[in-house]
This record gives sequence, C-alpha cells and structure tokens, in this order.
Amino acid sequence: MAVIEIENLYFAYDKDIILENINLKVEPLDFLAIIGPNGGGKSTLLKLILGLLKPTKGTVRVFGEPPSKQLPHIGYVPQNTNVNTDFPIKVIEVVLIGHVGGKKSLFGYGKDEIACAMGALAQVGMEAYAHSRIGDLSGGQRQRVMIARALCAHPKILILDEPTSSIDIQGQKEIYALLKTLNKTITVIVVSHDISVILEYANKAAHVNKRLAFHDISDKRRTFHTHGNEDHFCEVELLQMLGAENCEACTNDQSSAVWKEKP
Amino acid sequence: MIEALHFTFVQHALIAGVLVSLAAGIIGSLIVVNRMVFLAGGIAHASYGGIGMAVFFGLPIFLGASVFAMLAALLVATLTLHKRHHLDTFIGLIWAVGMAIGVIFTDLTPGYNVDLMSYLFGSILAVSTFDLYFMGALLALIVLVVIFWYRPILAVSYDSEYAKLRGIPVRFFYTLILVLSALTVVIAIKVVGLILVIAMLTIPVYIAEKLSGSLWQMMFYSGVFATLFTLIGLWFSYTYNLTSGASIILVSAAGLGIFLLVRRGR
Repeated sequence: MAVIEIENLYFAYDKDIILENINLKVEPLDFLAIIGPNGGGKSTLLKLILGLLKPTKGTVRVFGEPPSKQLPHIGYVPQNTNVNTDFPIKVIEVVLIGHVGGKKSLFGYGKDEIACAMGALAQVGMEAYAHSRIGDLSGGQRQRVMIARALCAHPKILILDEPTSSIDIQGQKEIYALLKTLNKTITVIVVSHDISVILEYANKAAHVNKRLAFHDISDKRRTFHTHGNEDHFCEVELLQMLGAENCEACTNDQSSAVWKEKP
Repeated sequence: MIEALHFTFVQHALIAGVLVSLAAGIIGSLIVVNRMVFLAGGIAHASYGGIGMAVFFGLPIFLGASVFAMLAALLVATLTLHKRHHLDTFIGLIWAVGMAIGVIFTDLTPGYNVDLMSYLFGSILAVSTFDLYFMGALLALIVLVVIFWYRPILAVSYDSEYAKLRGIPVRFFYTLILVLSALTVVIAIKVVGLILVIAMLTIPVYIAEKLSGSLWQMMFYSGVFATLFTLIGLWFSYTYNLTSGASIILVSAAGLGIFLLVRRGR
C-alpha cells in the first residue's frame, strides 16, 4: 500500500488558488524531496498531508486513511526551530512532548517514557545534552532534538519542513546523513530549498509551484547531465528541469541530447 | 511593625498578599511563555466593566468582576481563533469598552461615592474574610489544574502546532489559561489594582525565567519573588503610609533592577 496517496487535490485560501490538481504517491521507504519557489505551496502541501488543513477538493490518504487517523504514525519536524528559545524547557522535556497524547500518564513522566526519549536522543547523537536548556543549543543541535521528538512516537513517516534553513554547512551534512540512516526503516519527506539534498539523498523529487511535477531520481546518472566530467550540477538548469511538468529525462528512457549521460 | 500584626485587617492583607502572589506567579508564568501579556492587560481592564455593573445592580463586586472578566477571556479566546489578523485591534477595543462600561455604570449609580481609585490601585487593607476564601479557592484550583495537566499545558505553551498534531485539545487549554488569567487578574485587583496588575504578573516572572531550567521551576520562583516583593511592598506601605499597590510594584521594579545589575556584574 502507498504510504501517502494524493489525488486531484486542490487547495485555495478564499479565492487564491494555492495548489491545483496535485497527484502524488509516496511508496514505503521513499526519500521524497519537495522543492519549489517560496510561496509555491510547499508548506501548504505538508499541512494538507498532516491534516492541519482540509483540501478544497480531492483527497489525501495516509496508509489508505484520512491523515487525522494516522497522526500517531507521522513524525513531524516543523520549519523554524529558533522560535521560543527563551522558553525554560530542557531538551529531554521537549522530546517527551512527542509522547503526549499517546499515553495518559498524569503527574510526571513514566520511567519507560524517559528511557524511550533518551533512546531517541541517542539515535540523533544528542543524549549528552538531555538536561541542557533548549535555548542554549545551536540551530543544528536543536534540529536534532526536534527530530528526536518526532522519533519518540516511533513514526512510520518522518516529515521535515526546511530542516536545514538555519544551519551551517557542516550541520546540514550531518542532518542529511542522519536522515539517510533513518530512511532505512522510515519513509522520509523533506521540504527543502537545498537542491543538493535531492542529488545526494532523495530517490524521488516533487517540484511544487501551484502544480506538482514528480520525478523519480533514484538513478541520478541517467537523469541528470553534468557540466563536463566533473560531478557538478547546475542548480539553475536543474530547477528548470524539475519544474517542468514533463521532462524528457523522466519520460524518455534514452537520455536526450540535452540531458546527456555522464561519461 | 510587630504590634500591627494584631490587627485583623493587617493579617488579612498579609494572607491576601501571599495568596495572590502565588497565583500571580503561576499564572503570570503561563501568560508570559504563551505571549499573552497584552491579552491579559485587555481582560484586566475590561473587568472594570464588571465592577461598575456589580455596583449598579448591588451585586458582590468580586462576582461581577469575575463573570465579566471570564466573558472577556472567552471573547478573546474566540477572537484569537477567528480574527487573528486584527487581534490586537480587538484586544484594544475590549480593553477600552470594558473600562467605559464600568465608568458609565458607576456614574449612573445613585449616591455612589466609593473611591474609584481603590479599584485602579488596589485596596489590600479592605480585604474581607470572604475575599480570602475566594483567593484561597482560586489558588487551589490553579495549583490543581497545573499539576494535573502539566504536560499538555507545557506542550501547548512550547509548541502549539505540534501539540495539535499529537492530538492535544489546544483550544481547550488555551481557553483554560485565559480564564484562569482572568480570575487571577480579578483577585490581584484587590491587592495592586487593575492598572498595576500586569506588572505583578510579569516582573517576578521575568526574573524567574532567567533562573529556571523548566516551566515548573519558573512558576515556583515567580511565586517566591512575587510573595517577597508583595510583603516588602506592604511593609513600605504600612510604615510610610503609601498606597499599597504602587509600593508593591515599585519594590518589584527595584528588585528587577538589582537582579539585572547582579547578573551583569557576574
């Protein structure tokens, strides 16, 4: 069964059409990158998948059901983790929020919950910071904590909105390497401006700009053309190509003259 | 000073000061971390409408103010959900209209000559036994709610969108925090008056936030600092015959100043 299936989806705020005729199918253990310009509807699409917004027309199914029924299986990492950094809260407490709503344990935290939260922190390499205040961490560290919070509920899908927007390059690489590891057991969906993520880690790409263009990029060599012999992709060309509703590289098994095979 | 403790009204003032300070510390923490200070200000001033109406209809002041403040809180909660883009305008409106209603109703009350100033700046030396019960009951309610729902309240306050995704009824807790704030404002009016209530809800909290690693610590320290400032303020007020509410707030402000200097000195 498809992890996520979106059919003929339209979404509009009042009369502004944000998304039109969106079709998307995410298979188990996909690493899907959602890219596109600002205001193109990427975050709106995520909110529809999470059930925070209702489609104007069309359907969103998560494991064959409406998103609200499957929320416990979706791990979500929000876009801006730099808000509320003054908030007096420890790392471990942030991760434990991932448990809330599942179990109804009152009066403090259960031992098993703390063990689970520590396990999630260990998975992202942050267990040493469990008792630090969240505001004292760097952006990259905070992002890891948010991933740990999402992992706390043992999700089958991990959805991240711009996970590296406020992180230095080293931190970005570490986050993506972490996602790659997690992808062995969890379906990962990442909204990103950062096109390099698509080439390095993702196997599917969806370009969203009101409409959606879908690409299977698991075989990058054949799909993309490089400048000369170097392993370098021109981001402008790449974006144009991924934004096209039908790119030749995807529809044509033989590489065209424009998108020629890397020697 | 010690012989003053034999007077019932002084005992009442001290007990009221402690009860209100503890409530203000806990609720003030929630107001600050949820960024609701302006909302709480609006509710505080709107509650004056309830005071005016209670005076006009001959009802207990506490009752009038409580009901009115709670209605204002529910209105604010609804507006936050439906008119988010113009929220500050509407809060300003509630703020002013509530006060105007209060003023008009006191004007209309025949032979009414209770000093308006006592509600604007507090009248802690006129706390009745009933007032103390009311304050004690509210503090008990606040403590129970916070202990019982600490985790969802923490989740909603820290990251409401994520809390919603985890199936927490965010609206319910948001409204609950606003209603408890409204009731806390009403009892704090007795101690520092409605003009100064926001200072009481925020100054001790600001200091506590810097010292705390978690929300419950912040509530605890806020309560301790608020109590400390209130008792010192009352001492000044009694000794030099000054308005109690203003004394408490100036002591709080001085405390904040000392705290900032000490912190910088380190």
